[in-house]
Amino acid sequence: MIVCVAVVGHQNNPLYIQSFTEEDDALKLHHIVHCSLDVVDERVNNPKKSGPTLNETFLGLLYPTENYKVYGYLTNTKVKFILVTTDLDVRDADVRNFFRRFHAAYVDAVSNPFHIPGKKITSKTFSERVSAIVKSFGLSSAG
Amino acid sequence: MEPDVSIETSCMIRIAVLPIGNVTPTLLRDYHSMLLRHQTIPLSAISSFYTEHQKSPFMHQPWDSGSLRFKFVLGGAPPSPWEDFQSNRKILAVIGICHCPSSPDLDVVIEQFNAACKGYNSALVKRCFAFSPCDSHLEDGEKKGDNLNLFPPADRQTQEFHLQTMMQDIAASLLMEFEKSVLKAESAGTILKTPLDSQASLSSEEVIKAKKRRLARAQKTIGDYCLLAGSPVDANAHYSTALELARLTTDYFWYAGAMEGSVCSLLVDRMGQKDSVIEEEVKYRYNSVILHYRKSFIQDNAQRVSPLSFELEATLKLARFLCRREMAKDVVDLLTSAADGAKSLIDASDRLVLYIEVARLFGTLGYERKAAFFSRQVAQLYLQQENRSAAICAMQVLAMTTKAYRVQSRASISNHSLSNETGSSHADCGRMHHQSVVSLFESQWSTLQMVVLREILLSAVRACDPLAAWSAAARLLRSYYPLITPAGQNGLASALSNSADRLPSGTRCADPALPFVRLYSFPFQSSQMDIVKRNPGREDWWAGTAPSGPFIYTPFSKGEPNDNSKQELVWIVGEPVQVLVELANPCGFDLKVDSIYLSAHSGNFDAFPISVNLPTNSSKVISLSGIPTSVGLVTIPGCTVHCFGVITEHLFKDVDNLLHGAAQGLVLSDPFRCCGSVKLKNVSVPNISVVPPLPLLVSHVVGGNGAIILYEGEIRDVWISLANAGTVPVEQAHISLSGKNQDSVISIAYETLKSALPLKPGAEVTIPVTLKAWQLGSVDLETAAGKIASGSMGRHLKDGSSPSILIHYAGPATNSEDQSVLPPGRRLVLPLQICVLQGLSFVKARLLSMEIPAHVGEKLPRPVSVETNSTEGTVVSENKMDKLMKIDPFRGSWGLRFLELELSNPTDVVFEISVSVHLENSSIENGKSVEQDATEYGYPKTRIDRDYSSRVLIPLEHFKSPILDGSFFMKDLQSDRTTGSKSVGFSEKNTKAELNASIKNLISRIKVRWQSGRNSSGELNIRDAIQAALQTSVMDVLLPDPLTFGFRLVGNNSEQAAKLDLPKESSASEGSVLAHDMTPMEVLVRNNTKETIKMNLSISCRDVAGENCTEGTKATVLWAGSLNEIIMEVLPLQESKHGFSLYFLVPGEYTLVAVAVIDGATDILRARAKTGSPDEPICCRGPPFHVCVTGTT
Repeated sequence: MIVCVAVVGHQNNPLYIQSFTEEDDALKLHHIVHCSLDVVDERVNNPKKSGPTLNETFLGLLYPTENYKVYGYLTNTKVKFILVTTDLDVRDADVRNFFRRFHAAYVDAVSNPFHIPGKKITSKTFSERVSAIVKSFGLSSAG
Repeated sequence: MEPDVSIETSCMIRIAVLPIGNVTPTLLRDYHSMLLRHQTIPLSAISSFYTEHQKSPFMHQPWDSGSLRFKFVLGGAPPSPWEDFQSNRKILAVIGICHCPSSPDLDVVIEQFNAACKGYNSALVKRCFAFSPCDSHLEDGEKKGDNLNLFPPADRQTQEFHLQTMMQDIAASLLMEFEKSVLKAESAGTILKTPLDSQASLSSEEVIKAKKRRLARAQKTIGDYCLLAGSPVDANAHYSTALELARLTTDYFWYAGAMEGSVCSLLVDRMGQKDSVIEEEVKYRYNSVILHYRKSFIQDNAQRVSPLSFELEATLKLARFLCRREMAKDVVDLLTSAADGAKSLIDASDRLVLYIEVARLFGTLGYERKAAFFSRQVAQLYLQQENRSAAICAMQVLAMTTKAYRVQSRASISNHSLSNETGSSHADCGRMHHQSVVSLFESQWSTLQMVVLREILLSAVRACDPLAAWSAAARLLRSYYPLITPAGQNGLASALSNSADRLPSGTRCADPALPFVRLYSFPFQSSQMDIVKRNPGREDWWAGTAPSGPFIYTPFSKGEPNDNSKQELVWIVGEPVQVLVELANPCGFDLKVDSIYLSAHSGNFDAFPISVNLPTNSSKVISLSGIPTSVGLVTIPGCTVHCFGVITEHLFKDVDNLLHGAAQGLVLSDPFRCCGSVKLKNVSVPNISVVPPLPLLVSHVVGGNGAIILYEGEIRDVWISLANAGTVPVEQAHISLSGKNQDSVISIAYETLKSALPLKPGAEVTIPVTLKAWQLGSVDLETAAGKIASGSMGRHLKDGSSPSILIHYAGPATNSEDQSVLPPGRRLVLPLQICVLQGLSFVKARLLSMEIPAHVGEKLPRPVSVETNSTEGTVVSENKMDKLMKIDPFRGSWGLRFLELELSNPTDVVFEISVSVHLENSSIENGKSVEQDATEYGYPKTRIDRDYSSRVLIPLEHFKSPILDGSFFMKDLQSDRTTGSKSVGFSEKNTKAELNASIKNLISRIKVRWQSGRNSSGELNIRDAIQAALQTSVMDVLLPDPLTFGFRLVGNNSEQAAKLDLPKESSASEGSVLAHDMTPMEVLVRNNTKETIKMNLSISCRDVAGENCTEGTKATVLWAGSLNEIIMEVLPLQESKHGFSLYFLVPGEYTLVAVAVIDGATDILRARAKTGSPDEPICCRGPPFHVCVTGTT
């Protein structure tokens, strides 16, 4: 189950953080997302020399922590998407797929002419869409 | 678990460093730091102290390259239950440190030292170092035994050398002790136990196993000692044996321990060189170590003791070994698993150590956020211990995390970047700005940041550090007020006050709390004290240098086109200045700012503090003032604020950045906007320089500085008083005018000012200024009317239509200190607040003309004067009104021409109008014109009451020139002659210009003055109106007709006919004519030109119905002589007569009219007649004459 998704701007500023758990662990998830930026930074600054990953936006598993796994995705505008999940065996393809759809939702959200780049995303449509994507992620992995 | 573990820890000899007697912490730290320089003692250096008592068990000891390593444990440590398992955990030596001056009795010192050593059973070597002994101590010291080492007072170098020797001695002693221990361990069957070992009695087969185990453990212990003795090869050999044995006996714990030792020996052997092969080897072996520690986990005693801490320690050791950017992934995995393991740790302090280590390793790796995360975990563990020192630790650990969370205290930032900032205050502006913008971005993790700050606040309160608590609360409140409930804000406010209560008054804190302070404006010099650079080369020294208008920026000003953001501001020593700042309190409590003043770091500025109260959610613009005290530059980076009991500095730059961030949506909220303040353009802080004192003129209008209210056209004197309020005399002054309506200032008594110079400080001079109110334009009138209607007259002043008086003045040309630089002058702008009220309003002007036909009498209607000296014949009577009515001397009829001015008085005062006409004497050439000695005519005054309108008649009778000649058209003719007919348009234009000139000349002679009340008087400006009225008929006004006609009765007796020119007064009583009587008459034609005129004259007679009476079948008038086609020739300025007789059949009123057609008219005549084409005949028509025929039919 996805417990949290986040969009982090290119200056490491949070643009959108949404948790999907009932418990009151927003702070913990914030910490997890915040900490994951270290790994993203490290991946970005020390890219692997191997060819195929050169233009790869999907950063893969950033780190496992406690009961969570944190996945990352970096757009070409240096906006990071972070996914925190409790599923221990996640197929990479699922995560890739999730991020691709999430990216599309993000692009649509920031294409809103009333959205100020760099500002937090407050669009209701975006959050609804993200919720839908998050829900379907659970389904597709089950199926 | 222990902090700071690494793989090499296994080869370090642990030495407790204990203070003996009274040693201050500073001194202890100092001595400790001296010891720290001797952490590694090369074996080669100790050979002189080493004596081989028996055959050394360390066969492969590398005497030339190896070394012993020490680890100093300051303050010592309690013995560990795991000492048997890892010999390096034992305290193998004790060093006491004694500071002789504070513990003079050496016996006591030795006693204390021995007592202290009791706790360290494992210590093989014990030494007490006594520093700074006096001579008596030195003498005593000799007998105190070799445990006490005295360090005679000497310079640092000598002492360090002495210490080095001592350490080498200790090292040698330890080495010898190790040899003993190894030999003992090899022989004796000492039982090596760990808390892990089962306490229960062993079964028989286990006894056998236990023997083997004992062997393995002994081998491992020997290996440990070998390692400590700096002999890795020996150690490795023993470890190999131990590994083999431990594996056989499934003694995993010891197996792992031996493996750890073997890795360490490998590394020591390789002298720390790292290549990938070794790295792989170490990684492989350590993974096995970790695995075996995990394997050694026994469920039975899991509650009591667990090898988990060893497993985690091993993980950390490996992580530290690998800790490099390239290996980040591996390290992160290791650290993550270590952190995950932390939950299973039983001992809280173990967990603490683990988190600290994890945080440190993440930090080394460059993962600052993770480091911060684990630091926070550490702090939370500390906070779980409810004591003060733990709270202090927690606070300090949290303070380290603030950088990662971007909530660090300003104090820590400035320590870091102090060098940067002082070195390049201006040039680095952009970069600094960038940094702060980045931190704004990062500052959006408000959830995390607030938690950190809150924990710092909590721990600081618990640690009784009021300043740290204040700072944390201030940061929390200032940065996150929008996320804190009003109750929470109040709580923070009281936390601030409570902390401040514990602080000494006057404490400064680097972190500002509330209010938010931003620069509102730097009032550039008020116009009263403008400073003008003096141009030494010019008499008008202000020219070219002064700002030439009310605008700070003019597009025409040359130079520095890009640098206009940086304004130069000049302040003057001793003259108070003001800066406007805006304060905002966006929080839910009333804020009392005890004092706020400008903070100037340059030290030549005295700021005046003020105190302000800011209610909930409010902002306020306040004016902060101060006095520059000495010449130089002043920088004002912000304000110093004393609020919540602590003094803080609020920098304008920070708030600017904040607002910048708010504008971009990076910061939660703009504190000023949420207080309802408007958005303000970014105000740049100008470069301020302070110059020596200058004179300062202060002005006021005598009789009050209010507006001078004038009616249109009013003339009035005002007095302006100038006083020198400076400390330097005014030596030069020059007055000029600027602004609109400059011509309304008629005169300024410049001489009065001149004569008062030099104006000493405190002196005053009053200069009169004469003003004349200008005319209100139509727009002005409308707005004024509107304003009057809405009752806000005062506003009208602001439209800037008043002129300003500029006074440029300067002090002495040179000051005593610097001869080369001319001190600047100053400019006083004195706006004259003139409020012009609508006065008499002019409605329209009209030219009225009328002719009253003359009666044909025996005499001609007399010309006003035929000769200059004859007055009896003038028709001008004494009657005043008759004066206005003049008989046209040549036309023969009563001609009246008035200029009628219609004036209305919309004001609420009464106006009296007087008209005066000024005549030019010079224009009267030949005495034939109207001449009375006075050159001005006075007319009765016309009074116009308020809200009434009235007409003023201005007679226009005195302007006609007697002769129609070319002079009027002179220019016209000349131009015609020179240019021919080619430029008709041009000549027309000239005609027009000439005409205008003559009208102007005419108008300028008419003056309409008004007076209202006792002291208002002025002149109506109605030129344009008159001009418009006269435009069309000016020729009629100014020029005579070319021919004038007159009729008269010739006396009944025909002999009188000869005496035409001398008509008798007696006989010419009434010009009445009898019907049925032949009436001889004559027509008089006068030529008013200077040329002879030939003409064809005809006379007609009409009755009241306008019927021609002399023609047709029903003619009622018979005639004798010729009435038509009379050919005449009249000489210039002469008259001709033509006689005829009429016989009236019917009595009644008849009209005689003479008409002449001029033959061969000249250009002048044509111009006068305004003919279009040159072929058109010119017809001159005389005025009608009335004949009254009496009698019966």
